[in-house]
Amino acid sequence: MISKRIAAGLAGATALSLVLAACGDNGGGSSSSSGTTVSSLSVLDYYNNDPDKSLVQKGLDSCASQLGITIKRETVPGDTLIQKVLQQASSKTLPDVLMLDNPDVQQIAATGALAPLNDMGLNGDGVIKGMVDATSYDGKLYGLAPVTNTIALFYNKDMLAEAGVQPPKTWDELKAAAKKLTKPGRYGMAFNANATYEGSWQFLPAMWTNGGDETDLTSPQVAEALQLWVDLVKSGSASKSVINWTQGDVNDQFIAGKAAMMVNGPWQIPSLNKNPKVKWDVVQFPVNKVGQTPVAPLGGEAWTVPLNKDQAKQQKAADFVKCLNSDENELAWAKARFTLPTKTALLDQYVTEVPSMKAFGEQVVNARARTGKLGDKWPEAAKVIYQAIQLALTGKASAQDAFKQASGG
Amino acid sequence: MTDSTIRRAVYTVIGVLILAVMLFPVYWMVNASLQPSGNTLTAGFLPLHPTFAGYKRALSEQGDNLVTSMIIAAGTVVLSLAIATPCAYALSQFRSRWVSVGLLAILISQMIPGIVIANALYTAYERIGLLNSIPGLIVANCSSGIPFAILILRSFMLSLPPSLVEAARVDGAGLFRAFVAIVLPISKNSLITAGLFSFLFSWSDFLFALTLTTKGGVRPVTLGIYQYLGTQVQNWNAVMATAVLSAIPAIVLLVAAQKYIAAGAIGGAVK
Amino acid sequence: MAHATLTPTSEVKAPGPARRSRRHRGESLTKVLFVLPAALAMLALFGYPVVKNLLMSLQDYGLRTFFTGQAPWVGLQNYTAVVKDKLFSDAMVNTALFTIGSIVFQFAIGLGLALFFHRRFPLSGVLRSLLLLPWLLPLIVSSATWRSILEQDSGILNRTLMGLHLVDDPVPWLNSPSVALIAVIGVNIWIGIPFNVTLLYSGLAEIPDELYEAGQLDGATGWRSFWYITWPNLRAVASVLLMLGVVYTIKVLDIILGLTGGGPANATQTLATQSYEKSFIDFKFGQGAALSNILIAISFLFAIFYLRSTRRAIDE
Repeated sequence: MISKRIAAGLAGATALSLVLAACGDNGGGSSSSSGTTVSSLSVLDYYNNDPDKSLVQKGLDSCASQLGITIKRETVPGDTLIQKVLQQASSKTLPDVLMLDNPDVQQIAATGALAPLNDMGLNGDGVIKGMVDATSYDGKLYGLAPVTNTIALFYNKDMLAEAGVQPPKTWDELKAAAKKLTKPGRYGMAFNANATYEGSWQFLPAMWTNGGDETDLTSPQVAEALQLWVDLVKSGSASKSVINWTQGDVNDQFIAGKAAMMVNGPWQIPSLNKNPKVKWDVVQFPVNKVGQTPVAPLGGEAWTVPLNKDQAKQQKAADFVKCLNSDENELAWAKARFTLPTKTALLDQYVTEVPSMKAFGEQVVNARARTGKLGDKWPEAAKVIYQAIQLALTGKASAQDAFKQASGG
Repeated sequence: MTDSTIRRAVYTVIGVLILAVMLFPVYWMVNASLQPSGNTLTAGFLPLHPTFAGYKRALSEQGDNLVTSMIIAAGTVVLSLAIATPCAYALSQFRSRWVSVGLLAILISQMIPGIVIANALYTAYERIGLLNSIPGLIVANCSSGIPFAILILRSFMLSLPPSLVEAARVDGAGLFRAFVAIVLPISKNSLITAGLFSFLFSWSDFLFALTLTTKGGVRPVTLGIYQYLGTQVQNWNAVMATAVLSAIPAIVLLVAAQKYIAAGAIGGAVK
Repeated sequence: MAHATLTPTSEVKAPGPARRSRRHRGESLTKVLFVLPAALAMLALFGYPVVKNLLMSLQDYGLRTFFTGQAPWVGLQNYTAVVKDKLFSDAMVNTALFTIGSIVFQFAIGLGLALFFHRRFPLSGVLRSLLLLPWLLPLIVSSATWRSILEQDSGILNRTLMGLHLVDDPVPWLNSPSVALIAVIGVNIWIGIPFNVTLLYSGLAEIPDELYEAGQLDGATGWRSFWYITWPNLRAVASVLLMLGVVYTIKVLDIILGLTGGGPANATQTLATQSYEKSFIDFKFGQGAALSNILIAISFLFAIFYLRSTRRAIDE
């Protein structure tokens, strides 16, 4: 609730918005026959700051007019959403349509608060597997996300050119490049390793790419990934402050020219573009050994339908979610604010239209959901991960022991 | 001129220096708020190219929140004083062994973490519909205002001679009328002090604002700053400008009411 | 809670001869009305939360509770769970260090400043009231500002220290487990100094000048006058101040969350931050409630200890 770093993470990982026109005429929301008497739906989301807030509003309005209803929308700050949902759940006042960050969907679905969408004519066909994993619980689909995001490696083109360094493809190259790019007042590399879920999220590309798995955090693959973070900080190629930085702070460092490379997501692109002096590009996260595939976590929010005694209303809400996830809508949302459509069929078209998203487009195909394996137990693993990172980066434990220590072993 | 004049001047200089060190973070806040946008990462000691863009933005985006905070703080003052003043009078003038029990209860109340209060109030508010409302926040903020006001007012009222009220009583005035007509006017300074602190406590409240509002409608400025911190790391000057704006009431009240913050009024409160 | 019973007895004990019982009864009622609003307010704002928190600490109150409304009774399980937690002993130690460290320095510096401002000089009043500012700024503002000041690479503090060649390498204020607690304590001292100065100053102001004049005749000046006159007369204020200091410091939450969030590597976790984390990060509200009850209990024991020792001092 209070931790603003979580807030920053959520708000950062959100970044999606809408374009009115695109959610237009043939928006794909085939209105169901039942809900003719439903005239309005309540919606809750966490896009509480402009420009997202008003852009999302336009998109919602567009789907509303297609369905011939009005919407009553409420927005709350990112890190208070779950709290709000809990409060509304206990007073039985959940909205008709609820937006949830994708790793939260299973946890909320597990409490029995959400309606399965399969029964109401929705499915996850064509959607990248990671996102379907994230929004399914016990074999049923509980939410659909129109757009997604992930994280990759940003680099400052001028700095790399000046140092004669190619964008790194392996961890060794990454370490060497980071070292070479480091000079007084500037670090070669920046990432976020703070003690929140955000810190775990930034660690996942290294962990998953190397074959590490959240079901066995004491494996050598996970330890090797942690060693990468440790090496970068120990060698002075990354600031010791990474243990307190949010992704927003990391971006600040990059923009201020105090970091030559950073791990971050596409939602930072608008603010990067506001600083035309910074010439940047993105590549996939490097691999440990040649032949590995970069695997990064999936971000983005899913729209869900809380259980409702009023069947007609519930169906209407499901139709609304369906409209939000139409092809046209996905592309429009993705373009407006540098996120990626969740349907694989749309990705190629999108990346040709928005070339700066190319690396993210590649990265997202193999991306995994955080809750894909552990489901609603993921938060516990995530906590062990960020605590282990903190132990290792502060020298309180070696990379090998950190996970054992963090999990209380 | 004389030795002592020089010495006193030296003291003033030392005093200013001490204050400069103590208030450096406040200065830094002002400095950061005047830096051109971007971030504080490269900020120097002085805002060499001051810009008021941060303030412009803060005022347009947080102006309403400042007003909300003002209303809540003022309401807290009125309600806290209305409840605390008679009680303080009772605890100072009525003879009873329960007085010490009452004081102990106030002491215990200070031990309870705010978050415990906030959690309980949330469920209660939900039932009676006080969530997201200004009255709800006023009542919650009274949890810091009332005990503090009782202590301050009581310490002053202890010094009131009982004969003062007795005289009025002889003329036939009821206890309450005597209290209103005699005790209140005479306690003006300590009422102002108690009110001032209630105002400032309420003004700087963050926890209740965060937990007891769930919609955008009622949003005190501390919550506004918090949301800035979460989402606007790019605009440190606006964040800091809001912070400076939110500190202004504290500064103005302190300077304006300086003579009322009689040291004794606070000092005696805890005896 | 105790407060609520305040009223009936003040009726019995109220002064006044029994023969004026008619008027007396009306008056007793008035007297009750004087305390009633405050008693009710205290009950609602403090009594109710404490009871609710006690109950919650005996229940399995988690995420699911909000949806199903079910919170089964689990006895003392939450307490054993939090005490067995690997972080509990660290949190206890940190709480103790944080509380003691904050109070010792707040008090020492506060006393020094109070003595200084006690000498009358131009502007002393204005300066003294401005000194209150750190205490009155919204904590969220203070901690955000301090975070930027203490930033390791580009924070103004390290830049200044290095510029003055006082340190060779930037100090990892908030980044090293061994330094972070000190930094957090430092910020808390900064916030607490004004309160200490104000109370100690008022204590000083109440010491009659004649005592010093008499002392001067006996040759008590400078340190001796402080030791034999000032300190003994200040002891009452000082002990209240220390007791309140413990009560307020032990539950500090916002500053730590704002500066370090309990990190790095849990180096600044205290009972208060742990309680917060259990409730609002892990959604184990029962355990969070258990931890805050432990916190209240410690605070309460300390207050009892204080009250007994002051009573003994009075008896002597």
